[in-house]
Amino acid sequence: MSTGAGFPIALSLRVAALAVALIGPPGLALAWLQARRRYPGRTLVDALVLLPLVLPPTVVGYFLVVLFGRRGPIGRALEALFDARVVFTPAAAVIASAVVALPLLVKTAQPAIEAVPDELEEVGRSLGLGPASLFARVTLPAAWQGVTAAMVLAFARAVGEFGATLMFAGNVPGRTNTMPLELYAAWQAGDDARALLYVGVLSALSLAVVLLAPRLAPRAGAA
Amino acid sequence: MSARPDAATPPALEARVHVRVGRGAEVFALDAELTLERGVLVLFGPSGAGKSLTLRALAGLVRPERGFVRVAGETLFDAERGADVPTHRRGIGWVPQRDSLFPFRSTAENVAFGLPRARRRVLDAELRTLLDELGIAGLAEARPASLSGGERQRVALARALAARPRLLLLDEPFASIDRPGRAELWRLLRATLDRHAAPAVFVTHDADEALALADRVVRYERGRSGKDGAPREILADAYPLSLDGAVVEAGGAGLALRGARLAGPAGALPIAERGRVRVALRTPPERPER
Repeated sequence: MSTGAGFPIALSLRVAALAVALIGPPGLALAWLQARRRYPGRTLVDALVLLPLVLPPTVVGYFLVVLFGRRGPIGRALEALFDARVVFTPAAAVIASAVVALPLLVKTAQPAIEAVPDELEEVGRSLGLGPASLFARVTLPAAWQGVTAAMVLAFARAVGEFGATLMFAGNVPGRTNTMPLELYAAWQAGDDARALLYVGVLSALSLAVVLLAPRLAPRAGAA
Repeated sequence: MSARPDAATPPALEARVHVRVGRGAEVFALDAELTLERGVLVLFGPSGAGKSLTLRALAGLVRPERGFVRVAGETLFDAERGADVPTHRRGIGWVPQRDSLFPFRSTAENVAFGLPRARRRVLDAELRTLLDELGIAGLAEARPASLSGGERQRVALARALAARPRLLLLDEPFASIDRPGRAELWRLLRATLDRHAAPAVFVTHDADEALALADRVVRYERGRSGKDGAPREILADAYPLSLDGAVVEAGGAGLALRGARLAGPAGALPIAERGRVRVALRTPPERPER
């Protein structure tokens, strides 16, 4: 085992945490929108949210490269404004994980928000809470279990991201070699011990998530 | 309630709203006209008559197609002038029928929920008095899940009153509470509203409840509000007619009834001298109201 065995673990956790932080606020806003509002185009938004879940991750990666590449619309803008390049950087790993984890976040948080009784929000409004404080002080605390479950699942999905990350962030040792990429590389190189380390860490993490997530499912009458 | 006590004091509520909800064959149209100088106005009528929808329009939770809502002289909604103050700026208290306490907060935190941040930390004297008045001072630290139905509605009432609303709206708040408990809550609510001089609109389909609380009553029928009047006047025909000891006289035009009484659990209601009573047979619809 080389000195860098711990790096992919730390990198993966950091990338996943940043990915969840990145999609948390817009993801919850989107979940609220889909749960509480009826507007034209709502079904289309629903479909677009689900798309990254259904698309092969390599296809998601391809789209990201096209968008964020040096000739892509976002990539060009970033380069012109900040002289920043995204492809094959840790930032790309964060974006790839975020896009792939977003459907899980939205689709888990949405029913939790739907389950918040209208009465609570209506009383909150009558007590002087505007839309933002209503969400922060009523909706979110009332749906916290489902919202936490959504975050946990999104984090787990982000940690495990492989295909889109490989396409978009590459496998740059010391920069973008997250656990799943490192596992594949170790396996290919015949370094079974190293492969087993990441298999162990990723399995333990996943097990913890599936044990934790159901305990967070909304229960009737839970306070 | 007689004429205005003070001509300079605007009425607690003046409203005329036309609301349509639903679509296609499911459309429900409401036409309501309400005035309340002060005190308690009860909206009385069967389920599905539009009473709750009226409250929602007053609170700004549904938007009327036409009409206006004025509370204490301030226009909160006016379709013609395009005025529509959002619910959170209306200063209207809301006590819904179903349990509405924030389950993640204690009783004290629920009651202080609508207050500025500084007053949410510790119960001040004003809030303590309010909890005392409603008999829930001992429950300040309790979680809603551990409270009885009656206690929860007292907390909901305290929470609405703590924010000092200009108008309090109560939508059958005691519907799920058993009869004896309900009578106790009527006394408590009436006394508390009087002490705080808080004008209120109360929705019910229970004639006893209406009689126990109302200064004025408006009767609802199929999406329309009737004329408002004194409780005994408006509610007279909501009570069973007792023919005990009554004399029936057959006259030229029909039957006359002398000495009949209208009896309800809250006591007998007199029928005015030469008063007319319309007797109708109907089964009360028990559909939940939207």
